[in-house]
Parts: sequence; C-alpha cells; structure tokens
Amino acid sequence: MAAVAAFPAVRLSLGRRRCLRCGPGPRPVPAGGAAPRPCSTQAAPQGINKPIIDRIIRVDHAGEYGANRIYAGQMAVLGRSSVGPVIQQMWNQEKVHLKKFNELMVAYRVRPTVLLPFWNVAGFVLGAGSALLGKKGAMACTVAVEESISDHYNNQIRTLMEEDPEKYKELLQVIKQFRDDEREHHDIGIEHDAEATPAYSVLKTAIQLGCKAAIFLSERI
Amino acid sequence: MEFVVRCQHYPPVRALQASAVLRRVSDEHKKEPFTPSSQQQFDTHPAGHQPEQEPQGPRPSYTGQGGQESEDYESEEQLQRRILTAALEFVPEHGWTAEAIAEGAKTLGLSVAAAGMFHSDGSELILHFVSECNAKLSELLEKEQKLVQLGEAEKKPTDEFLRDAVEARLRMLIPYIEKWPQALSVLLLPRNIPSGLSLLTSMIDDIWHYAGDQSTDFNWYTRRAVLTGIYNTTELVMLQDSSPDFEDTWRFLENRVADAMNMSNTASQVQSTGEAVVQGLMGAAVTIRNLAGLNQRR
Repeated sequence: MAAVAAFPAVRLSLGRRRCLRCGPGPRPVPAGGAAPRPCSTQAAPQGINKPIIDRIIRVDHAGEYGANRIYAGQMAVLGRSSVGPVIQQMWNQEKVHLKKFNELMVAYRVRPTVLLPFWNVAGFVLGAGSALLGKKGAMACTVAVEESISDHYNNQIRTLMEEDPEKYKELLQVIKQFRDDEREHHDIGIEHDAEATPAYSVLKTAIQLGCKAAIFLSERI
Repeated sequence: MEFVVRCQHYPPVRALQASAVLRRVSDEHKKEPFTPSSQQQFDTHPAGHQPEQEPQGPRPSYTGQGGQESEDYESEEQLQRRILTAALEFVPEHGWTAEAIAEGAKTLGLSVAAAGMFHSDGSELILHFVSECNAKLSELLEKEQKLVQLGEAEKKPTDEFLRDAVEARLRMLIPYIEKWPQALSVLLLPRNIPSGLSLLTSMIDDIWHYAGDQSTDFNWYTRRAVLTGIYNTTELVMLQDSSPDFEDTWRFLENRVADAMNMSNTASQVQSTGEAVVQGLMGAAVTIRNLAGLNQRR
C-alpha cells in the first residue's frame, strides 16, 4: 500500500511567468510575485510571441518615423527643385507606412521607443544635410537608407517565417508590402543618379552605419 | 481510504522537497483547501492556466516511464500562490511576515514549515498581493469596457475614468492599510525594486490602455509618468488619511487629476501658440525677401 508512495510528484514550474493570454516567451519579470500581464486587446491575436513582436513593431515604427523626417528634411531644401515631386511622392508613401505602424502599435500595445524625439531631429538633419549636397546627394541618402531598411525588413520576414508563418500572416503581409515599397524607392534613387554623387561610397557607408545603430537602439530602448 | 498511492520520478531538487513534504501532509489531511476569501475573484488565476484540482477520493495514479505526472498535480508556483493567498487573511494581524504565511499554510492544512519556502521579510507575499490587485483591476476595467461596447454604459471622460480606476485600485489596500507602510518599505528593498517597478508600470499601462490612450509618440511616456506620479502621491496621502472612508484622499486624487488635465491643455495651448508665432515669423521673413527682391525662382 504505502510501499512505493514517498513524495508526490510535483510538476516543475517553468520558473518564468508567462503572459497567460499572449502565450509563451520570457517576460522581463521574475517568477516570485510578478503579475501575468493580461493582454486584453481585442485586435491582438492570442498566443503570439510578445517580446519579438514588440521589438519588430517598435523598431519598424521608429524606422518609418525617421524616414518621414528624412524626406521632410529633403523636401525643405529641394522641395522646389526638379526632384521635388519625386521626393514628395516617396514621402507620401512613407506617411502611409507610418500610419499603418501607428495602428499596429496600438493594436499590439507596443511601447514606442524613447528615442523618438531624437530620431525626429536626426532624421530631419540627415535629410536636409544630404539635400544640401545637391540632388544627387539626396538621392544617395535615399538609396543608402532604403537599402538598409529593405535588408532589415528581410531579416524580420525571416524571423517571423521561422517563428510561425501562419500566426503572423497579417504582419508578414504588411512587412513584405513595405519592403517592396522601400525597394522601389531604392531603385528610384539609383535612377536619379545617386551613384554619381561625389564620395558616394563613403556617404553610403556612413549612413548605413547610422541606420544599423538606430535599429539596434530602437529595438531595445 | 484517503491515502493516495503515488509513484513519482522527479529530479531530486531540494526546493521541491519542501513542497513535496507539504503536499503529502495535505494529502493526509484532506481538508477543503479553499479559504472563504478565495471564493472571490481574489484567488482567480487568469484564464487558461491549469486549474488546480484537488484529487477527490482514492484514485491510484502513478507516473509513467517518462516521469509524466497526471493532471491533478499542481506546480510549485501554484502551491506557493495558494499559500500566499491564504496568508493574506492574517496580514492585518501579523503584518507582512513569515507568521502570516505560516498561519495561511495552516489553514490549507499544510505544515507551518511552508513559510520556509519564502523570504522572511514577506517580499513574496507583498508582491503576490500587488499582482493580485492589479489582476483584479484589469478584470474590472475589462468588464467596464465591455459594458461600454455593448452600449449599456456611458463612456466616461478621461479624468473621471482615471480617477475611478486609481480609486478602485487604492481601495483594495483598505483592509491592509495599517500594515501597508511596512509593505512599501519592503518593496523598496533593492531585491524587490525590479519586480515592484514592473508591476507598477504594467498597472499604469493597463489603466491608460482602458482609458483609450492611443498615443504612439513621446506622449506615451509623459502620460504614464504623470499617472504614476498621481498614483504614488495619492497612495502616500491615503496612508496618513484618517477621514471617514478616506474622503480626503479621493478629493486629493480629484485635484491631482484635474491638475494633470490642465497641464496637458496648457501644453497644447503653448504648442499652438508657438506654431502661430513661427508662422508669423516665416511670413515676415518671406515678406522681407520679397521686398528685397531676393525671392526669385532660380
């Protein structure tokens, strides 16, 4: 009867509290007394990997916000020149992108990056600065930034595909569409003689380094 | 016969043995584990998690070869939560201490040694309490939101909503208000600051979310910072309030929320004034350029 009974089995808890409605994934709270955060938005689907989605949306939002400001800076200098309409059209598309990410941010309850005011100024300065180098300079800046952004979107698409393409279908669609748009901007920049800019490769490398740093920081802060 | 035979395979983890012993003791005293307080939502674990089931009656169950336990075992976390919830009843008398936890364990039919699972300063008890209160608040706000969506209730203006939410949350402290200063000081221990802070921020975020905040710029941060300030100061006022039903505290809260609303109105006024001034200056600059003949298209 009592022969085998010693201690009852106790299921090992996983040690980390999960967000019980938003599925697995480490939350940055210790197991001791932390609240499982009830994510109760109607729009956000259940069972998503919240930390990864958080990062993705936060950094994409910051990116589109920055891109907006870059084009605003370029328009401020070159608005009345011959490339004005081209830049305006690209800017309009970025505005659409930003609007979409604003909606996603609210739906998934993602916090925006603290650095937004900084990207506000830095983006405008980059746009205006590159435009002061001339039309080709502005196009070179566009090429560099759009290339960075499309690579970045591709990485995100890969990450989401590895996670679960079905669960993140809508998000994947959005990112793919935006990646194609950015690619188009990149091609427009090339068409408009971006590569003929003096010191093109130096400029391009510097801008892309800045973009990488911005992406790194916006994901985390 | 109530004694249930259990085979188990589990890795010899020291931390588990304590709870394992307690579990065995609880099997031998097949008491109703749910204290009256747990009938309220207080003990409700958010939906979706394995509901703990107390095995009813003799049921031979044993682990299979892989060491898989059958469903009616609870995890150590769940057990701890049950103990802490039961301990809350004894906090007004014993404070946030190991004694309260020991008493709570006793009501569950566990040995008082259960209190040894926790820190002696009552940190886990306090954090558990705070997280339970936050969960209750979220449920309350969710219900309210549903009523508004169904059209059965009016949507409250922001300041009223914030006031009601903070008041509802602070009212949960009333049964423990005597010992709450002790809890606050424990929460300020370096060990507890990360968890305490994260509980606070998620609560404030919840309140703003249900208040309908959709900001995606730096406002996101300013709003939450302001509300955190309001909450903390009101909490401190409440600790020293001796008016009937804490009227002074709620009046203080009302004033602070009104201040915050004024501040945001002032801020937007300043911004629009600033924009108007800039436009005026730009207009003046263009005029001067025109007058000086500089405004030629190249």
